[in-house]
Amino acid sequence: MESTRTKRRDHRLLILSFASFACVILALYFASIGTTIVYTHLFYIPLILAGMWYKKKAVYLALLLGAAHIFITLSYIPLSAAILMETSERALMFVVVSYAIGFVSDKWAKGEEKLKETTDYLDNIIKSSADAIVVVDTDGTVRSWNKAAEDNMGYTADEVIGTTNTKFFAVPEEAERIMKIVQREGELKNYRTTVLNKAKKPVHISMSAALLKDKTGVPIGTVRVSRDVTKEEELEEKIKDERDNLDLILESMADGVYIVSKDYKVEFMNKVLIDVFGYHVGEVCYKVFHNRETPCPRCKNTEVMKGKTVRWEWYSHREDRTYDLFETPLRNINGTISKLTIFRDISDRKRMEDELRDAEERYRVIFEHALTALCVIEHGEVVSLANKEFETLSGYSREKIEGKKWTDFIADEDMERVQNYCEERRKGEAPACCEFKFVSCNGEIKHVNAWIEPIPGANRCIASLLDITELKRKEEELRETCERLTELDKMKRDFLNVAYHEMRSPLAPIVGYASLLESCKLPDKGRRYLYNIEQSAKELDMMINRMLQLATIDGKKIDLILEEVALHEVVQEVVKSVGPGVKKKNQVITTAVPEIEVQADKEKIAAIFSNLISNAIKYTEEGGRIDVSVEEREDDIKACVADTGMGIPEDHLPYIFERFYMVDTSLTRKPGSLGLGLSIVKEYVKLHGGKVWATSEPGKGSNFFFIMPKRQR
Amino acid sequence: MEKKRVLIVEDAAYMREMLAEMLEQEKDRYEVVDFAVNGKEAVEKYKELKPDLVTMDLAMEVMDGLQAIKEIKVYDPNALIIAITALGTPEQKNAALDAGAGEYLWKPFTIKNLFDALEKLQRNGEE
Repeated sequence: MESTRTKRRDHRLLILSFASFACVILALYFASIGTTIVYTHLFYIPLILAGMWYKKKAVYLALLLGAAHIFITLSYIPLSAAILMETSERALMFVVVSYAIGFVSDKWAKGEEKLKETTDYLDNIIKSSADAIVVVDTDGTVRSWNKAAEDNMGYTADEVIGTTNTKFFAVPEEAERIMKIVQREGELKNYRTTVLNKAKKPVHISMSAALLKDKTGVPIGTVRVSRDVTKEEELEEKIKDERDNLDLILESMADGVYIVSKDYKVEFMNKVLIDVFGYHVGEVCYKVFHNRETPCPRCKNTEVMKGKTVRWEWYSHREDRTYDLFETPLRNINGTISKLTIFRDISDRKRMEDELRDAEERYRVIFEHALTALCVIEHGEVVSLANKEFETLSGYSREKIEGKKWTDFIADEDMERVQNYCEERRKGEAPACCEFKFVSCNGEIKHVNAWIEPIPGANRCIASLLDITELKRKEEELRETCERLTELDKMKRDFLNVAYHEMRSPLAPIVGYASLLESCKLPDKGRRYLYNIEQSAKELDMMINRMLQLATIDGKKIDLILEEVALHEVVQEVVKSVGPGVKKKNQVITTAVPEIEVQADKEKIAAIFSNLISNAIKYTEEGGRIDVSVEEREDDIKACVADTGMGIPEDHLPYIFERFYMVDTSLTRKPGSLGLGLSIVKEYVKLHGGKVWATSEPGKGSNFFFIMPKRQR
Repeated sequence: MEKKRVLIVEDAAYMREMLAEMLEQEKDRYEVVDFAVNGKEAVEKYKELKPDLVTMDLAMEVMDGLQAIKEIKVYDPNALIIAITALGTPEQKNAALDAGAGEYLWKPFTIKNLFDALEKLQRNGEE
């Protein structure tokens, strides 16, 4: 029995070992094709066989435990124990091998299975993705490599699956770093890195990655989605260049330019602003520009961020300046929006506008309150503007004047003349002023002086009218007065002429009878009386003569009766005629006159010398000296009558040749002087085209000079 | 030597008398033939008496001296007339000379002035 049993036992052991071996092979096969459910249960076959043949109780226990599934591997332990108790060492060896292989394959198959499920799940997405999608397990081994990855990197899936991913990175440590980040963070977003393609050329990628975990939460790998951003980066570079250019332009602008982000951070400010505010990039705009702690109430940031472009004017009370602001959204590379503000200091323009307005106001006031009537005429026809004085002149209210025809104000008889004047003024030819009759509201005629000035650059002119009605009236009055005075003057002259004549008539018998008496027998006393009568009559005659001479000068233009006059003879005659007076005053008179002839009126030359010499005698004390001299010069003669008399005070010198001028008007003055002699001298010298003057030293004497041309023209 | 017959034309009586008195001083040479008180009378008396010389005042009523000189000169171009006036303007003098007066005497004048003028008038008339 014993031997049969052993024989049977050996026989069974062989079958059991063979079954175990077959099951392991099958399990390995199924594991390789991923069907874990099937191969797990294959291990029950040798287990069941062992239980049937050796220890039914142990087998049932094992089955029970196997049903619990989780403890599948543990079920080998009682099984192995049962076998150990009754069989040989070889059986134990098979069981141990079976156990070991089962354990390892079970573990491996389990992982394989989970991964396989995920892969299946993603497969479709991965295949169709334009992004490179790569699955890398926790060891860094590539497990999946899609079409886009092949295109990007140049490696085929066959070439890289199962290999390490380290070789893809330009910096090999990058692989480790990414894995760590993903494991720590659970994900990775838009991570920029550089990889090398199959041709070892760098490719810039943006990578996002996620951690893959199994059902128990154990990380089993990462899935990475990468996009080739080489082109994008080139574009970004270009955009950056453009931005740099833009910055340069903004930098060089004369206007202030700054850029702020949505949260009011200054991102850029140009030179103009930096010069004013200093460099404050990175700070908040309301603090930098306005020294505020909160955003400005009128800030347009919100509007601009919504995509609106705004333009507005801001007056800074603090600086007393006005700014013209232009604000527009600016899209950044990263998709955010900033506000670009260009602002211009328009204070000067504003000030100029204000000044212009002031100047206009000033001119308006001047226009309005000018003392002449002013109006603006459009196209030479319609009055478009009139001032207060124009209202006064015309008698119309302003509303009625403005819009009225300019010609309505001109009297018919002056119309043509005024229009011609206006026309010529436009050409810049006519005289500045034109006088005409102005028709005011009730038809009243006023005389005005008009200045019409074209306004450059417009077909309009400004007319300035001065009411000269009153002036005209006064002028007329003056003219009438003048006429009346002229008339009176003529009457006076006529009267004086007659009067002088009538005065001479009674002189005639005085002089005549006196001369008759001379031949009569007279006592000495009588003869002396007669002499006095004769002298007085002579003086009276001389005075009347002078007055007559002057009256003649006043009355009309005197024609000189020109002849050749021997000067020395004229002087001798005059000296002879005054001889008695000189003798009486015991004076000495000398003459130094060359024997020359000049063209002159003899009577008047004689009168000139006579008056000068008589004067000298009259104003020189007894025993004095009178020198008469004539100097012949190239074209004229210079005569001088010098005396040693009382002289003439300096302040009287300029006036002594004036008619009726007397140095001394008191009762103590020299008798026989009406102040006419020198004025006759002056007039006669003037008639000859010469001039007369005097010098004097009071107390020592006077010198009277005259010059006159030798030939009359 | 034959006496010169003189016609005195003067509106003022004292002047007529004075002239006569003056001529009386040279009674051997001059005798007054008559007096006239205005131009009209002067012309009539000149025609009637045919004097050698005439003293003619210029300012007179009815007919002034200038007119009288002209009329006498028309009647007798050789008449020797001396114009006497107080109006001593050159115009007046020229007017008298133009009218035909041979000499011109201004008032006032002395006896010497009168005889000088008369001599001159006669000398000019002889030439």
